[in-house]
Amino acid sequence: MPEPRPTPRWVPLLTVAGFLALVSLFLGPERVLHFARGVIAVERGLGDLPAAAAWSLLRMAVAYAASLVFAWSAGYVAATNPRVGRFLLPLLDVAQSVPVLGFFPAAIALFIGLLGGGRFALELAAIFLIFTSQAWNLAFGVYEGLSTIPAETRAATESLGVRGVLLWRSLYLPACVPTLLYNSILSWSNGWYFLIACEIIVAGRTEYDLIGLGSMLSQALARGDMRVTLASLGTLIAIVVTMELVLWRPLRAWSQRYRYDTARGDEDEANDLPRLPDFGLPVLLRPLRALGRSIWSRLPLAETNRIASATGAGVARTWRVLRWPVFFGAAFASLGMVWSLVRVLLPPWPAEAAELPLALLLSFLRINAAYALALLWIVPLALWVSDHPKALRPLTLIAQIGASIPATAFFPVLVALLVNRTGGMEVISVLLALTGMQWYLLFNVLAGVQRVPQDLRESLRSLGLSRREIHRRLVLPACMPSLVTGSVVAWGGTWNALILSEYLIFRKRTYEVVGVGALLNRATFQTGDRTLFLLSVAVLVITVVTFNRVVWRRLYEHVHQRYRLEVA
Amino acid sequence: MLELRDVHKTFTDHGRAVPALEGVSLTIPERQFVCIVGPSGSGKSTLLRIVMGLTPATRGEVLYQGSPLAGVNLRSAMVFQSFALLPWLSVQGNVELGPLARNMAPEDARRRAAFYLDKVGLDGYEEAYPRELSGGMKQRAGLARALAVEPDLLLMDEPFAGLDALTSANLREEVLTLWSDHALPVNTVVMVTHLIEEAVLMADRVVVLSAHPGRVVADLPVTLERPRNKRDDGFDALVDSIFEKIV
Repeated sequence: MPEPRPTPRWVPLLTVAGFLALVSLFLGPERVLHFARGVIAVERGLGDLPAAAAWSLLRMAVAYAASLVFAWSAGYVAATNPRVGRFLLPLLDVAQSVPVLGFFPAAIALFIGLLGGGRFALELAAIFLIFTSQAWNLAFGVYEGLSTIPAETRAATESLGVRGVLLWRSLYLPACVPTLLYNSILSWSNGWYFLIACEIIVAGRTEYDLIGLGSMLSQALARGDMRVTLASLGTLIAIVVTMELVLWRPLRAWSQRYRYDTARGDEDEANDLPRLPDFGLPVLLRPLRALGRSIWSRLPLAETNRIASATGAGVARTWRVLRWPVFFGAAFASLGMVWSLVRVLLPPWPAEAAELPLALLLSFLRINAAYALALLWIVPLALWVSDHPKALRPLTLIAQIGASIPATAFFPVLVALLVNRTGGMEVISVLLALTGMQWYLLFNVLAGVQRVPQDLRESLRSLGLSRREIHRRLVLPACMPSLVTGSVVAWGGTWNALILSEYLIFRKRTYEVVGVGALLNRATFQTGDRTLFLLSVAVLVITVVTFNRVVWRRLYEHVHQRYRLEVA
Repeated sequence: MLELRDVHKTFTDHGRAVPALEGVSLTIPERQFVCIVGPSGSGKSTLLRIVMGLTPATRGEVLYQGSPLAGVNLRSAMVFQSFALLPWLSVQGNVELGPLARNMAPEDARRRAAFYLDKVGLDGYEEAYPRELSGGMKQRAGLARALAVEPDLLLMDEPFAGLDALTSANLREEVLTLWSDHALPVNTVVMVTHLIEEAVLMADRVVVLSAHPGRVVADLPVTLERPRNKRDDGFDALVDSIFEKIV
């Protein structure tokens, strides 16, 4: 694939503006208020737990399936068409940094406003919200998988005359397996994380809730019913851990086969983890594989290719005809959106808007405090592990499981313990951000420790360097790339978590701290103030995108050039 | 069978045009083993990719059996320096790919793959995955994959560069044996190498390219009797004369 040209600087800014404009169109809680009458929040007890778990799982699965479809379309287009990719990639980047609350108005207007307030519409809205927490990084996964196919491998497949369906089956799909799996695991934990927010769909001062683990958890917490809270929490953790052990772990081991064996350093991950019975994979995959094989063997290749190319040509023809009307329509719609955006954002601003700069600063400090705290225990631990390689396997397993448990699950425990003490809410919000980022960081740093070449360590030891010298001169620099990679994702993702952690309802009382997340929550749940809502979302997205571009990306490039270990 | 007429290729690097090949004209008859040598940056591999139809020439024409090339040339096959086997397919799966892409029935493709795996000495390794093979065996698989499409023209891009000395010497012999086997479809070979000795050892003809941009600076026949040996009379003299052309 040709090297994409650098993205123009105005693209991300324009994307933020476009997104905000789109959201402003959908804002209008008063329009949907009357739909709420039919839905009354039911107090749910322990007996509802199995049904709640089943519904949550179903929603997650449907949202994940939708995310996969989206990811393949977007990732494929971005990877094969660099002109589109230049615009699509920053767009995905911005979408990724929009907090899930930012999608609430769109979800409400789209599904509840258009389809009415029935159960079906509510379900669709919830699934859409889960989708917004899963889809973007999956698309990046597909893009990465497709764009890192080695040039010679691509040329080899092409030179054999492999085209169409066979090309997808033999090259495109397998090439994306590792990155897609990695991102699927990430997406699922994101999904669980925001399940709680997604199942309580909010329109202004009205809440709709759907039966599910997330809604049960947050309602029980709001009521102060610790028994139901802990039970739904336990169920959630049990499901997440089971999925990790039965689904993701075996799949991860299986996906090793789909790596190019250019780097000898990455030995099979499966060998570095304690052996657990992989009963999940054969049972799950056997029927799937048999199904795939039988479909494949019955598929008339030439025929399918002909149909596929005919469809492609048809689409291209239709597009040529519809191009100009679509362009004009889009231009018209964007004008309308910008106009509504301007109208919403025009002063007078609500009094709370004056709080925004301070709120942003405090939120920013909280994130960085959590980040510093995470580093404070992860770096020493990583150094210790580098001297005790036997600890690596169990710790990696712990980090994987820890990362898969949504941080929101620790919410109730922290709240119950700390909420009424001095500085309680402040401590809770930092700790919650910490639980969100630490496992992911640990997981990445451990992977870095694992990649420190043994011969380099031995050569330094033979030179007579002390353990501390080796840490400073070899282990730390060698872990830098993985540390920064982990930091980029953890830091960005924690903004989302912070929004949930700066504002909470416990025992029918609202607790909050001064922060952008609290402002956003208040605008959504309490006042339904669209100006404040838009301002907070804008400030948040711009901060995250700017920080990513100015700090993390440069650091990432620098570290990857300076500290990359050449693997022979 | 193959004719290049005034082929130019220019790449753009950061908006700047960099010529890789300039005015390359060559005619390669049937049953010839041609080696293209040249320093790095002489566009050897680019030339091979143009002949394969993987990338179009910026200017000039490539005629195959008298007609201009459009897209990938399905009558030829290519062997790569990095072997370029798909890691997720077994050796058998890799070799079957070409026949399957030509709409061959799966059973026939399987039989054909087995035949060529046997020819390159990989029988018994059908179910192995590329990562389980040594470099030499990977390149054998790469060779079998190219042969399995039964090409008239075999293109090889530094096929022995990634292998140790002993393995590459063995494989060189085998490629020559396969080429001289008239029962096999391959009759013309174009191989890119940066080792002049390798070229003199294997080829009927050595084409020397210059660097930045690549131009044909010499086109020499190798008339030494086969099988050849580095200690043959005239071997060193020929190697030296080609070496002088490159420097």
